[in-house]
Amino acid sequence: MVVFCLFIISKSGGLIYNREFHAGMSKLTSNDYLMLAGSFHGMHAITKQLCPVPPTPVTPLSVAGAPAPSPFIGRPSGLEVLESSHFRMQCFQTLTGIKFLLFTEPQQPNVDVMIRRIYELYADYVMKNPFYTVEMPIRCEKFDRGLDGFVKVRS
Amino acid sequence: MTIYSFYIFDRHAECIYNRRWAAPPVPKSARPMSGSSMTSNGDHPAVRKGLSREDDAKLIFGLVFSLRNMVQKLGGDDDTFLSYRTAEYKLHYYETPTRMKFVMLTDTKQNNLRVALHQIWANLYVEYVVKNPLSPVEHPGGIGVANELFERGLDAFVTAVLPS
Amino acid sequence: MSAPQGTTSGLRYPSNKKTIYDRNLNRSKNAELSRAAFAYLFVEMISYAQKRVKGIADLEKRLNTQGYPLGLRLLDLLLTRTANPLSSIRPTRILPLLQFIAQTLWRHLFGRPADALERSESDPGQYMLYDNEPLVNQYISTPREMSQLNCAAYVAGIIEGVCDGAGFATEGVTAHSVGGESEGGDKTEREMWPGRTVFLIQFKKEVLEREEIMGRGGG
Repeated sequence: MVVFCLFIISKSGGLIYNREFHAGMSKLTSNDYLMLAGSFHGMHAITKQLCPVPPTPVTPLSVAGAPAPSPFIGRPSGLEVLESSHFRMQCFQTLTGIKFLLFTEPQQPNVDVMIRRIYELYADYVMKNPFYTVEMPIRCEKFDRGLDGFVKVRS
Repeated sequence: MTIYSFYIFDRHAECIYNRRWAAPPVPKSARPMSGSSMTSNGDHPAVRKGLSREDDAKLIFGLVFSLRNMVQKLGGDDDTFLSYRTAEYKLHYYETPTRMKFVMLTDTKQNNLRVALHQIWANLYVEYVVKNPLSPVEHPGGIGVANELFERGLDAFVTAVLPS
Repeated sequence: MSAPQGTTSGLRYPSNKKTIYDRNLNRSKNAELSRAAFAYLFVEMISYAQKRVKGIADLEKRLNTQGYPLGLRLLDLLLTRTANPLSSIRPTRILPLLQFIAQTLWRHLFGRPADALERSESDPGQYMLYDNEPLVNQYISTPREMSQLNCAAYVAGIIEGVCDGAGFATEGVTAHSVGGESEGGDKTEREMWPGRTVFLIQFKKEVLEREEIMGRGGG
C-alpha cells in the first residue's frame, strides 16, 4: 500500500495544496507543479467534452448511504482515474469544483473511500478554519496532521 | 462491452484513421430526466453538436499528448500513459516504437486494451498498411490506411476479440 | 414564508404569542447543538473580530468581550437549573467558584469537565485551568505569523463573565497555548495534546483579602 502524493486544485485551476507522502515519483519545482495543475485543469475539461454517450442518469432510488444526487445531473463527469505503468491517479471533483488528485500504486484498492475521507478532512480543517481564504494555498497545520495520521495508518 | 471509437495518429500528429461504432440503444431503464435541459435522449447517440470528426480527433490528440507528457514528468521518463476513465467512458492508449498513437474509446467496464491495441498494430496495421506495396510511406490525410483488407480485419478483430 | 413579515412576528414576538421569555428555562437543558454549525458561526465571529484590529492582543480582547456577556448569563442560568433549590446560591469562596467553572460550566458548554485546575505557586491570586483540547479550537490552525493567538480567548471571556457575575472581580482571564512546540510544562504531555490551553485567572487584591477574612471566620 503506497500513497505517493496528494494535489488539490482550486476551481479556477490553481494548485492550492501539494503534499508528498512517499518517495517514488519525480520531484519537480513548485513552478512545474503549478503548470501541471493548470494544464490538468484544462485536460479535465476536455475529457468532459469528449464524452461519446449521454451521461448515465441518476436512478431516483439510489443505494442507501450514497451521496446526495449531484445538482449537475446530465453532465459528463470528466476524468476520474488515470493509469500509467508506474502509478494510478484518482481525481475527485467536489460539487464546488475543487479537484483532489491522489497518486497511488497501480494496484491500490479503495482509493475512492480514501479520497472521500480526505475531502472530509478538508471540510473540517480547512473550510472551518477562520484563517483560511478560499482559492488561496492551504496552510493549515491540523489538516497536515490529519492527513499524516490517516495515510500512515493505511500504509 | 461496447466500443465507441478508434483513432490512429501518425508521428506528425495527424489523424490518419478514425472509425466510430454506433452507440448502443439507451437501456430502457434510463428514462429521460424530467426537468433536465436535454431534449433528446432516446436513440440519439450524439450528446453535443457543433464538433466535426476532425475537431474530435484533434481534441483527442491534444489530450493524449498532454496526458502522456504529464505522466512522463511525474512518473519518470520510463513511465507510460495507459488509460483513463470517466464515469461515462474509458480511453485506452498505446504508442508504438515509431511514435504512432493508437487510441480507443470504450465503455467503463473494459479492462486495459493495451494488448489489443498492440495486436491491431502488429497484425493489422503492419500487415495490411505497411506491407502494402500500393500504400505510401507516410499517410498525409489518411491516404492508403483505410484499405479494404485493413477495415475488414479491424471489424473481424473487434467482433472476435472484443465481443459486445 | 408566504405570509408578510409583520412587526409582530420574529423571535421577540412570535406568532403564537409565546415569547422566548415565556419558555421554560429547562426546556433546552439536555439539548445538543451541531458542532459544525458552531464551527461556522465561530469562523464568522473571528472574521468579524478581525476587522479593524491593530494586533493579536487587540483581537483576543475583542473575542474576550464577545464571551463576557455569555458568562454573566450562564452563571444565572446554570444556578437556576441546579437540582437542589437550596444549593442554587452563587459560590462565595474561590474554590467552589472554580469548581463550578471547571465542572458545571464546562459540562454545560463542552459536555465534559475541564482537564486540570491548579493554583500558581508564585502568585496566590492566580489560578490555572487546563483544557487539553478546547472545542472552540478544534478546527482552527493558527497561521505562523499569528502563533501568539489562541482563539480560546472567547472561552476566557466566558470565564471572566462568570467570575465577575459571582462577585469575584478579576484582573482579566487570558488563554495561552501550552501544547506542541511551546515552552514549559511536561514534554510528553505537550506532544500528546498539541492544542492544550491554559486559562490564567488573576483575581483582584480585594477578592483575596475577602477570601482571607472569610477563611479566618471559619467558613
